[in-house]
Amino acid sequence: MFAYAVRRLLQFIPTILAISLIIFILLNVLPGNAALMSRGEQDTGTLTTEDIEEMKRDWGLDKPLWYRYAVYLKGLVTGDLGKSFLRREPVNQMLKERIWPTLKLAMTAMFIAICLGVPLGFYSALRQGRIADTVTMIGAVSGVSMPQFWLGLLLMYFVSVKLQLLPPQGYGDGSIKHIILPAFTLGIGYVGLLARTTRAAVVEILTLDYIRTARAKGLSELLINQKHVMRNALILVLTTAGLQFGDLMAQTVIVEKLFSWPGLGSLLVDSIFQRDIPVTQGCILVIISTFLLVNLIVDLLYGVIDPRIRASYK
Amino acid sequence: MKKWMIILATLFLTGFLLSGSAYAVRKGGTLNFMAPYGGDLSTLDLTKTSRYQDYLVGMNIHRGLYRWDAQNSVPVLDLPESVEISEDKKTYTFKLRPNIKFHNGRQLVTDDVIWSFTRIATMKPSAPAFRYINMIEGAKDLHEGKISEFTGIKKIDDLTFQIVLSAPIDLSYSLWFPAVVIYPKEAVERLGDAFGTNPVGCGPFKFVKWVKGSEVILEKFDDFYMEGMPYLDKVTYKIMGEAAARDLAFKAKELDATIVGAVNYPEYKADPVISKNMIEVAEMFTRLVGMNPDFKPFADKRVRQAINYAIPADLIIEKILKGKAFPARGYLPSSSPAFDPNGKKYEFNLEKAKALMKEAGYEDGFVVERAIGTANKSWGTGIYEAMMPYLKKIGIELNIQQMEGAAMDARIRSSDFDMFIWSLDSGPDSLETMSRWKSDVDVGSGNYVKFKNAEFDKLLDQAAVAKTDAEKNELVKKADAIFTEEAPVWFFNYNKAIMAFHPWVHNLSKVAPEMMFQDLTAVWVDETSPRANEK
Amino acid sequence: MNKNLRKLIRQTNLLVGGSITLFVITVAVFAPLLAPFHPVDDADLMVSEEPPGAPYYLGTDIQGRDILSRVIYGARISLAIGLVSQTLNTIIGVLFGLSAGFFGGWWDDFVMGLTNIMLSIPALVFALAIMALLGPGLINVFIAMGFTNWSFSCRITRSQALSAKSLDYVKAARALGYGRIRLMFTQILPNIIGPILIIGTLGVAWAILLEAALSFLGLGVQPPTPSWGGMLSAAREQLFTAPWISIFPGIAIFITVLGLNLLGDGLRDILDPHTQTQHS
Repeated sequence: MFAYAVRRLLQFIPTILAISLIIFILLNVLPGNAALMSRGEQDTGTLTTEDIEEMKRDWGLDKPLWYRYAVYLKGLVTGDLGKSFLRREPVNQMLKERIWPTLKLAMTAMFIAICLGVPLGFYSALRQGRIADTVTMIGAVSGVSMPQFWLGLLLMYFVSVKLQLLPPQGYGDGSIKHIILPAFTLGIGYVGLLARTTRAAVVEILTLDYIRTARAKGLSELLINQKHVMRNALILVLTTAGLQFGDLMAQTVIVEKLFSWPGLGSLLVDSIFQRDIPVTQGCILVIISTFLLVNLIVDLLYGVIDPRIRASYK
Repeated sequence: MKKWMIILATLFLTGFLLSGSAYAVRKGGTLNFMAPYGGDLSTLDLTKTSRYQDYLVGMNIHRGLYRWDAQNSVPVLDLPESVEISEDKKTYTFKLRPNIKFHNGRQLVTDDVIWSFTRIATMKPSAPAFRYINMIEGAKDLHEGKISEFTGIKKIDDLTFQIVLSAPIDLSYSLWFPAVVIYPKEAVERLGDAFGTNPVGCGPFKFVKWVKGSEVILEKFDDFYMEGMPYLDKVTYKIMGEAAARDLAFKAKELDATIVGAVNYPEYKADPVISKNMIEVAEMFTRLVGMNPDFKPFADKRVRQAINYAIPADLIIEKILKGKAFPARGYLPSSSPAFDPNGKKYEFNLEKAKALMKEAGYEDGFVVERAIGTANKSWGTGIYEAMMPYLKKIGIELNIQQMEGAAMDARIRSSDFDMFIWSLDSGPDSLETMSRWKSDVDVGSGNYVKFKNAEFDKLLDQAAVAKTDAEKNELVKKADAIFTEEAPVWFFNYNKAIMAFHPWVHNLSKVAPEMMFQDLTAVWVDETSPRANEK
Repeated sequence: MNKNLRKLIRQTNLLVGGSITLFVITVAVFAPLLAPFHPVDDADLMVSEEPPGAPYYLGTDIQGRDILSRVIYGARISLAIGLVSQTLNTIIGVLFGLSAGFFGGWWDDFVMGLTNIMLSIPALVFALAIMALLGPGLINVFIAMGFTNWSFSCRITRSQALSAKSLDYVKAARALGYGRIRLMFTQILPNIIGPILIIGTLGVAWAILLEAALSFLGLGVQPPTPSWGGMLSAAREQLFTAPWISIFPGIAIFITVLGLNLLGDGLRDILDPHTQTQHS
């Protein structure tokens, strides 16, 4: 399996290269440039064409596309992601500062999703086919059906303004109360998915022969749940959660913008609007690498746990 | 008789005591302020940025030769205690205050001024601050590497120096802006790029911490050159781009002051407590809809005027902006010294608009294919939507194209539009402001509507050599009148900047060029503040 | 419990989801008959931000337009975006998938690589970049979303094609000279209709939510067109002062997307109960 892991890791390289090329081209054909965005939204002071040309020269935007991509690749190899156009800070620096808040947000959201979704799924599986099952499932699906920022706004309004329980936004001092609302808004979408996965897994296991036998022997349902069903179901659930984690990292954009969360997602969107190309590319690189890495780890874990799967990893 | 005197004396004494308590400044406490302009700060090295978000924080850490005096709405000397200007207005001789210290303890002297200016001129990539000093002799050559020293700045002694300009421009209007600031050389050299995240200045507050994307913390600089100031012990700038969030934080008393957005204005105006603690000023930004004369109907002045008459700007301001703007007459805002309160205003007059359209031969109207704008709430496509029903009445249909700022800016510069809606800087120097519309200024330099009028140019040229400010402003006023008559744009409004604060905050000022440029030196909080004793 | 009743309840998803979807479609189709006002032309600043009350049953927005009418017409836009983009997605996905599965070789490798890349790039970012590139317009929204989400249908189709390829009678037909293309369409297509339908249904829901997100960031459907996402985003700041402006479009999105999700789940229960055709 080691060989399999190494091979998958090596496959990262062409994937990341291809993505970086696509994004690079896309970003460089967008109308407008960072010089135009250097003054904020209003037309402050006069920015002459010479000023713009000078800035573009400073940033290397006057060179042909292939040259700039080559420079970028060279930087990638040495680990230098360049400097932000507008902030003159090394992109590495900026990413380093923003990655932890996003990770924290994503993990907390996933944690919330698991804590809510798994028990819901369990409950539904046990009451399968009855009204409670349907109602619970509909509840779970509801979370996915709401536009994230609408949910976030409603939560902000009711919890922060009306009830004054939690701060409305910002990272603050990093304490728990700041992360609850954004994490909940982000995580609720995954509650449904985890609930459904858990339910399906538990249902499947409940119909297996050895469980039927155990039940026939008279063990109380609760005991069954805890020993056999739980472990296998949990494995499935955790791998689903893991696979969704990379997706979740990318989903942070809207929530971060809404709650002024200083993470990678808001940096990504801001840099696209500001045409700060090196920063955008840096963010994409991190998000995609995380996504690929997490997927790989989950696949490997799956292989470790289930020998049948391991055998297919040749 | 005696009784009358006693009453008078009592009143006098009471008045004296009351006014005395108004001046009884309280030292100490923390102010929770906000940095409301979009995302995180870019840098606290103000010479390297053009963003207001950075300036509004940095201006309390750093100082320069001039600063803005909000009381009188003019630039005044800051680091120098005096200046002598030569007859030909090209030579400024400054004498620095003798008691200025940097945050690292060293005294600020002439060499620091020269070093800072030279650094700005020679920075690669180019410093955004350079445009504020490029009128100094030798600046351009230095910038291009042709010479190695700033010939236009001459040291006379440690506290005296001379700046020579290549043209007689009013230096105070360039240097008050928080971009040309003086740094201690040793700190910049030691920190390098990190200076932007660990600035050392000579302003009233010292830098403490910057929690990226979240807040910037400053603390009192004890050796600030203004005796006894600043009053506050600590300032926290909370980075909050969303108006809704600021509103919540302000109401929760987490913010001591906030910029009021149009949406919250009616609510704040109606609140018995908050409404007493709001300051308003006509900011020096003019919101307008520019019309491209290359689009045939817009080449006709009558059509442009018709559009101005057909749209009830006042109503749109009331309903869409909730009254948070001053209706525009002319390009210069009401806070400009060259503003004419009796100037022509295009009042809503549908009949007149129709008559003008008919006269110009467009009785059946036409379609405006490219009406470009952003999603901005105050000067974006929402305003187009409000305009549409009225334009329909004179037969004009709008095809709105909403895009983001970078794309719109690019299209304006390449004249790829029929109409655009934007907010243009209109101050504080009235002459410089109107000069944007001169015939020899191309689209790339700001004349987005290709305004060409010989009479207008002449008036501005005369204003440039006027002997007194009053004379200059009179001429500029006349030029603005021509601009208004020609109606190259639809005049919408001047922004009404409003700051709301809690009753325990004192001495915030009405800063017309930009309300958020608050100099916190003289701001103080009284005991009723929840942070009155926070250090 | 009665066995038939149990079966019925198990099919609740289908019922509820189906009825909601049908309801939304009906509203969209009969919009001009149902809406009391014109969603764009009936704008009167004098009734700006009126709370719900006759004749504006859901209130008016800041431009003085009837929200009920705009929500009704908004159904058209949202459904159109969903349907067109999903159709595009499906066509692209099926074409890629069929050809990859059937022809195999380097083409298959290429398509799988492309799919992996598309799945790795966050959909919102990709759509955002394309919208920024193409500029304004409903058509561009169709394109941006149409090209973003074809990976799932591609994969399903491909695995179907692969398994069909190895079926005996298919091999026999090939040996007899039946064209590959004809086989693709006659043998494989019918088998994938089920999963495609499920993916499509869930995809329409996803597209509606994505459009709302794009509008939130300022790059969605052009004003003054009434799209639910656009209405939500435009009224964002007024949530506290004039909540009806954003509550109703939000509810509209919620109900429609919920209906589509339930429908998709219901379909999956019937057609494809064991396969994980995940969509999130």
